[in-house]
Amino acid sequence: MSLIETTNLYKTYVVGDVEVHALQGVSVSIERGEFVAVMGPSGSGKSTFMNILGCLDKPTKGKYILDGIDVTATDLSKLAGVRNRKIGFVFQGFNLISRTTAVENVELPMVYNHTPSHLRREKALAALKAVGLEKRAFHMPNQLSGGQQQRVAIARSLVCDAPIIFADEPTGNLDTKMSIEVMDLFTKLNKEMGKTIILITHEPDIAEYAGRLITFRDGQKVSDEVKK
Amino acid sequence: MMDTLFSVFRISVKAIFANKMRSALTSLGIVIGVAAVITMLAVGSGTQQEMTERFSRFGTNVLFLRQPWDLDESISSPKEVTMDDVRAIRRLSGVEAAAPYISSGFTVQYGYTSTSVDVLATDTDIFKTYDWELDSGREFTEKEVSDYAQVAVLGATAAQTIFNDVDAVGKTVIFEDIPFQVIGVMKKNGQGGFGFDMDEGALIPYTTGKVKMNAGWSKSDRRALDRVIIRVKDFNQIEETKEAIANAVRNTHKIHPLKPDDFQIDDFASFVEEAKSAGKTMGILLGVIGAVSLLVGGIGVMNIMLVSVTERTREIGIRMAIGATSADIRLQFLVEAVTLSCIGGLIGVALGIAATLIVAANSTTIPATLNITAIFVSFGFSAATGIFFGYYPAYKASKLTPIDALRYE
Repeated sequence: MSLIETTNLYKTYVVGDVEVHALQGVSVSIERGEFVAVMGPSGSGKSTFMNILGCLDKPTKGKYILDGIDVTATDLSKLAGVRNRKIGFVFQGFNLISRTTAVENVELPMVYNHTPSHLRREKALAALKAVGLEKRAFHMPNQLSGGQQQRVAIARSLVCDAPIIFADEPTGNLDTKMSIEVMDLFTKLNKEMGKTIILITHEPDIAEYAGRLITFRDGQKVSDEVKK
Repeated sequence: MMDTLFSVFRISVKAIFANKMRSALTSLGIVIGVAAVITMLAVGSGTQQEMTERFSRFGTNVLFLRQPWDLDESISSPKEVTMDDVRAIRRLSGVEAAAPYISSGFTVQYGYTSTSVDVLATDTDIFKTYDWELDSGREFTEKEVSDYAQVAVLGATAAQTIFNDVDAVGKTVIFEDIPFQVIGVMKKNGQGGFGFDMDEGALIPYTTGKVKMNAGWSKSDRRALDRVIIRVKDFNQIEETKEAIANAVRNTHKIHPLKPDDFQIDDFASFVEEAKSAGKTMGILLGVIGAVSLLVGGIGVMNIMLVSVTERTREIGIRMAIGATSADIRLQFLVEAVTLSCIGGLIGVALGIAATLIVAANSTTIPATLNITAIFVSFGFSAATGIFFGYYPAYKASKLTPIDALRYE
């Protein structure tokens, strides 16, 4: 059974009197351990697709099974736990909480699954070590470079041992050198830790890192190719 | 669970201290409310305690007879309380002593020293009603009372003020324009009776006071007394004695059996009741002040929490994305509101205690005793304010969807 299995996903927004069909029947299945890049112009529906896959939003129609859980049948309020256990998020804008040290940011997901505090600190430091930031553990986000902040965010996505990492334009705010650093890290996580990585990007050279490329246009999947 | 709550609390403290000025101003309303309630209740309970103490020192088997200040309008010709009443009361079997009581403020002069004392015009029975003790000299006699003698017994503090360390007994002092011979000085007894402080005062025969000093001149009846102080023999018989006194006074006042009394008899209990009801009124007033300032403070907390929720929408989105449930978010903001108002409450408690101690240390006229219950109750109310006014902003935060919150710029 696939880790991610979507069947005929539809998402329709109503903006004023106008209906926007963001997704029109998308079926995708992703196996454990895959590194998938999702590309497409803005408005193509790739972000909507990612939000649904990330359990941040629910489809209007269709079915979505995540690691055996029928997400479409689960109440939105219960999805917090699913996100916590199954998914790690990495955003374009890093989305760290300011005034809070790197290690405390990494600990945060464990606060919400009620991990005891001494274990939290231990696991958070281990995750920071995995992304090579153990020396910056007690820095505030604004004392770190963009690349370092993104690595803190990646550490945060690892800390609950979630099988999937969703990365939404993770290099969008980074220069080339930092982008390479971050992408190398994703590759390492995919290869060495077996994480399933789903990456949204509009840069072809970033998409190159992935082993599979899905392209969206006008709310539909237009291509889905696995590289050799 | 405790672990989670502690983490949430730490996050709250961090958020509160991130905006120090704003948090300080927000909790100010609660600080003032709590401090005001504690201080004022301290003054209130101090006053009440002092009154109760004064009454109890005075004795529980003492009654006062006087004309009421708010006379029933149906009484056409009320009679003043006079020596006729005193004599009638003295004949009652349950009565130990009954003394006339007319108090006036007089200037007293000795050599170049001039001061003002509270002079009580009375007779020998006064020494049987109050537990005053002589320090030197003697009390005045019945003969001196009937002879309009110009003799006075001074209180300890008054004697000290007028004579310094010189022995006052045998000296002559001038009350207004009339010379009086000091025949005795009382021992210091601390605040003595009710309305009359022996330490600061002087006793003279009521006859002399009435005739030569015009004491109680403002009354319509020249023979009028301010009141009669009565000591009953047996406290257990106090109700019966009171009734006997009432009958005797109705008799001397010639009141028709169907007409109401034109006098009233107060006992210790009724004074305590009066003090208590005064205290209660004060308590209600303070309660209102406290409630209003806590209400205003609470609205401030709610206002700032709403601002905070809006400001931190994105943070809420992040938290939700990484696994916070609506309940987690609600708890977070609720704890923050409660922490904010409790910090205000704690500062308020500290300020209130400080203010009370300052009042107690520096003021001889305003007694203040810390009221532990008031401290806990007002602190409790500050916490309750946080919960009540923090709930709506917290609820609003918890209702955000992760996707909308994350998109918020």
